[in-house]
Amino acid sequence: MTAKDSDVTLQKSSKPFWELVKIQGKLVLREPYSIIFGVAMPIFLLILFGSVPTFREPISSETTMTVFDLYLPILLVTVLIMIGLLGLPIPVVRDREIGWLRRISTTPVSPANLLAAQLTINIILATVGFVTLVVGSSLIFGVNIVFHIPGFFLSIALATIAMFSLGILIAAVAPSQGAANGMMMALLYPLLFFAGVYVPMQVLPSSLQTVASFTPVGAAVKALESSMQGNFPSITPLLVMTAYTAVFSYIAIHYFRWE
Amino acid sequence: MFNTENLAKKLGKSNRINEPTNRSHIVTVDSIHKQYGATIAVDDVSFSIAEGEIFGIIGPNGAGKTTTVECISGLRIPDSGSITVYGLNPRDNHEEIRNIVGVQLQESSLPPRIKVWEALNLFASFYPDPLNAHDLLESLGIDKKRNARFKQLSGGQKQRLSIALALIGNPKIAILDELTTGLDPEARRETWTLIERIRKRGVTVILVTHYMDEAERLCDRVALINHGRVIALDTPAALAAKEGGEIHMQFMPSAPVDDKVLTALPGVVSVEHRGNRIVVAGSGDVTTRVLSALLKVGVQAADVQVKSGNLEDAFVKLTQTNDKIITREVSQQ
Repeated sequence: MTAKDSDVTLQKSSKPFWELVKIQGKLVLREPYSIIFGVAMPIFLLILFGSVPTFREPISSETTMTVFDLYLPILLVTVLIMIGLLGLPIPVVRDREIGWLRRISTTPVSPANLLAAQLTINIILATVGFVTLVVGSSLIFGVNIVFHIPGFFLSIALATIAMFSLGILIAAVAPSQGAANGMMMALLYPLLFFAGVYVPMQVLPSSLQTVASFTPVGAAVKALESSMQGNFPSITPLLVMTAYTAVFSYIAIHYFRWE
Repeated sequence: MFNTENLAKKLGKSNRINEPTNRSHIVTVDSIHKQYGATIAVDDVSFSIAEGEIFGIIGPNGAGKTTTVECISGLRIPDSGSITVYGLNPRDNHEEIRNIVGVQLQESSLPPRIKVWEALNLFASFYPDPLNAHDLLESLGIDKKRNARFKQLSGGQKQRLSIALALIGNPKIAILDELTTGLDPEARRETWTLIERIRKRGVTVILVTHYMDEAERLCDRVALINHGRVIALDTPAALAAKEGGEIHMQFMPSAPVDDKVLTALPGVVSVEHRGNRIVVAGSGDVTTRVLSALLKVGVQAADVQVKSGNLEDAFVKLTQTNDKIITREVSQQ
């Protein structure tokens, strides 16, 4: 009896998860705000910045770097800001608020699978955003990227984990969709600012640059920047991202509720 | 002090588990207690449910009905007491219980843009031996809506989908919580027919409701819960007869009747004249007694109407009496 039961469990162990991924994927396509803000908007910004003639000129006489070159890592982080603040937490809070998570928890499948499916969908979205931005900027706008491959993957992975744990943190502490939206709006502009979306940090006073480098987004931009200029990123931004991840995840796990 | 109490409870519990379970009883709830902080949701609830029964749990709002069924489904673990479902303990046999118990939750909704068939297919993938989604939708009469999104469904259709989700895993027991709240009278009646059909499939139904007409119409037995305790457990008819108050019988006599003929009968409480009609209030088999007494004096009764107490009367009387007792106990303390 017990052996037979566990066979059944093994057989169907991965199926419900992929069914959930499929459903969550369809729901994202039907309510595409995370695609619009997380993927389409950064691509739009890429095209916009690429069309500004002054952005295509070297910043100074000692370098061939242009303002536009500086924007690529910033846009990669913008994808993560949008997905971390909006794409990931809002559906989770909604599913909890309407009792969908609770409904799932009456079945043999744990609602943790739904959360994992939501993470998977958002990782796919972020990857689509990254690839489009990198390929588009180098093919269409001729941005000269010299990847330090391990450095780049490490940086983008740490940045993704940090911003996703911020997303889960919002999902954990926001009691309602309204609260989650409020938190998103409160964090959105500061994070976009410190990532350098309005103006790249390089053109701001050094005191602000220091502050930015200790935010998760500023650190992410810094690490990505070095790894896209052929260098392994310096240790500080990597540690900053890791520290934020640890804090965000700790709080998220502590406060997360299924109902 | 605290530990000894706990130990006693544990011992008591394990003794009960070792008792041979009654074969026809598939659900046994034995003195469960559950509180959230200082609030006691379920104080002391016990009952057993037989296979194939429609078992009703009725009671005022906040009486502990939902918490009780949540404990049966394994969504919550009681602080003390024990529950067995087909011999399994919801605490230790988490997954097995969820395979055999289908739950329709109060105030639980689906993502607004999910389609009917998608939700059913999803839930079907959660169970080892699910029903055919198409057949189920057909038997619930929402097959035409299979491509509709959840938010496009009417209240009745949402409830049907909710029932479908509770049944898709081919459960042995279906727990339906406040199923018809917010439905129009027609949709309610359709849902009742559905529940009877579910039982015909051999599914045991646990129905939580605060509609007495629903319980009266559907349930084989009902447990009335008040302040976290079962204060009555019987068939709806027996509860209505026992606690539903007096029987009111009215008729038009073919000739004048002396009141004494009627007041002398056992069980008769009062006799009243309303125009050319006589109203007799009483209890027990007062109807038969009045009719045979009339026959003896050669009077015929025309247009006889009998209104017996119903479950709602019983509900109100039982909960009010219980509330008074509790208030008295509290004021004495």
